[in-house]
Amino acid sequence: MTKPLEVLLLDDEPIVGRRLKPALDKIGCRVEVFQSPTEAAARIDEKEFDIVVTDIRMEEMDGIQVLEHVQKTWPRTKVIMITGYAKVDLAREAMGKGVFDFIAKPFKPADLRRIIFRAAEALGSPIDSSLLNDEPVAQ
Amino acid sequence: MDLHITDIEDPDINYSNEPANIPLHRRPSISIRAKIAISFSLFFILSFTVTGWSYWILTRLENKIEFLEIADNYMVEIQQARRFEKNYLLYSTDLEDALGHLKTADEILTQNSEKIETILGRDHFATMVSYMTKYHGQLVLLGRAENDAEKELVVPKLRQFGSQMVSFAGEFVEKEQNSATRMFLLAKRVPLYFMGALFVLMVFVFTFLTRQLLLTLNRFMDYTIRIGEGDFSPITPARKYRDEFTKLAEAFNHMIKELDHKHNVLLESHKLRAIGTLVAGVAHELNNPLNNTLLTASMLTEDFHTLSDDEKIEMVNDVIGETERAQRVVKNLLDFAREGETEMTPLEIDKIVEDSTRLVVNQVKFAKVDLKLDCETNLPKIHGDEQKLKQVFVNLILNAVDVLPPGGEIRIHVKKDKSRGYVLVTVTDNGPGIPEHIQGRIFEPFFTTKSQAKGTGLGLSVSRGIIKKIGGYIHLTSSPGQGTTFTVSLPATESPSEIMSK
Ligand SMILES: Nc1ncnc2c1ncn2[C@@H]1O[C@H](COP(=O)(O)OP(=O)(O)O)[C@@H](O)[C@H]1O
Ligand SMILES: [Mg+2]
Repeated sequence: MTKPLEVLLLDDEPIVGRRLKPALDKIGCRVEVFQSPTEAAARIDEKEFDIVVTDIRMEEMDGIQVLEHVQKTWPRTKVIMITGYAKVDLAREAMGKGVFDFIAKPFKPADLRRIIFRAAEALGSPIDSSLLNDEPVAQ
Repeated sequence: MDLHITDIEDPDINYSNEPANIPLHRRPSISIRAKIAISFSLFFILSFTVTGWSYWILTRLENKIEFLEIADNYMVEIQQARRFEKNYLLYSTDLEDALGHLKTADEILTQNSEKIETILGRDHFATMVSYMTKYHGQLVLLGRAENDAEKELVVPKLRQFGSQMVSFAGEFVEKEQNSATRMFLLAKRVPLYFMGALFVLMVFVFTFLTRQLLLTLNRFMDYTIRIGEGDFSPITPARKYRDEFTKLAEAFNHMIKELDHKHNVLLESHKLRAIGTLVAGVAHELNNPLNNTLLTASMLTEDFHTLSDDEKIEMVNDVIGETERAQRVVKNLLDFAREGETEMTPLEIDKIVEDSTRLVVNQVKFAKVDLKLDCETNLPKIHGDEQKLKQVFVNLILNAVDVLPPGGEIRIHVKKDKSRGYVLVTVTDNGPGIPEHIQGRIFEPFFTTKSQAKGTGLGLSVSRGIIKKIGGYIHLTSSPGQGTTFTVSLPATESPSEIMSK
């Protein structure tokens, strides 16, 4: 296996991180989970991640600001936005700013994995597609 | 249209059976028409009495004057008779002259006997006639006397009767003259008295009627102001009797009922709009617990065989917790949206305000403004309808959110106004404020400065209606550039110590 994908996951809902970390670990990602945008931003300053997954609406700092912060430091990094509420103008703004893709709440772990798979391909380090088999484990 | 007009003009139109009008109707009736009729009758009776009395007094005066003329003639005749009697005795002139005058006097009496009788009375008249007859008798006796000795016998009686006759008549004439003078004076004064009485009566009737009309009109003016401010409680009797204004009051009560109904419809439609706004936020609020549930359930199925029992239990508990969270969100909105009659119950105001802030939490987040709630402890309860009060606070907060730029602040304080038995809720923003020239208008229905899509202009008008209905009031202080504070004052139903003792 090649070098694992470095993923930063930012969402102020703790359960999101708790569930998505194992889900993404499975497809060979190394996931760091944050609930606070400022802490996440500090970590981004230290380390180049391949992929940043961030909620668009948070208290201190919103997804767009995180996106701008990432792009300023690491232009290669792909940013995926989690939106709660289909805010068209916000989405358009983010698209214009070069966000990789959106995923709307509520979603399944497999939905995110599919987007990450595409992002990995775009980064030139594709993931083994067999890992993407998201069908429930047969009883 | 035509139908409607005839409807209004229909004299049979009758609201007196409506429940709100029963106390108005249960009073004795004294109509304005009756009052005016009574006043006019008073005038008429007064004029009639005075006229009748003047007529009577003038007639009596006329009789007296006539009597005085007759009496004067009579006096002249008997005085003449007596003069001739004296001449006869002194100078032995002809006695016939005396008898002649006495005869004329007698004729005067007999001719005018009725008139004299009415003035003097029968007895006095008889006395008068008898004096004259006695004198006449003596005079005749004197005439028959042959010599001086015989004459001397008659003379004392003659003198006695003569002077009695003259003085009796003289006394009466004088008395009647005096009485005539008095009557005349009185007759001269009566018109003056009448004028005085008329003036007093007029002033009295005028002030009485105008006071009645003006006071009632003023009262009705107050009613319209009160109704305009959204107080839709029916008019209750203010006087002990009813009149034409009662019909007006009944019509007012009917109108109030209709207005109240319309107001409730307005309230409902405004609420629906508020719900529309809130639903957008709540939908988002639901996304989080739904997402957490979906993620957790998915991972549970995916990794079912590899997870430890503890991990499984933790995940199932997460599912339960998140479902309950979703339920709370929905319940809060449903509480707000629930249709129903106004229910007045004792309420904890801090809880109402807190629920309201929770309802708008997403609007507040979207707008990136900061909302802080600060409640005093140990607040007295208030009396009102929970849903409607939430509607008021939701509206005030949403209004503030609408005008605030990102980073703006909304501060809500709930505190006691101990001295006056009120609980105060202030909603303060640091937005652009409200220009003075529109401050007076923002409570008007349909007044809005927002676009068609955003504002209805009903929020504040409906809010004021709700607050007025429970005996509170709502006002604002704002200066452009300094932000706006809306203060809602609600009457407390209990003192804090009563709550403490529970
Ligand atoms: N906090 C506030 N700051 C500035 N203006 C306000 C505020 N609250 C209300 N207003 C003004 O009062 C108007 C009427 O408000 P409202 O009756 O709630 O109707 P709407 O919100 O639908 O316009 C608003 O259009 C706005 O101009
Ligand atoms: Mg409003």
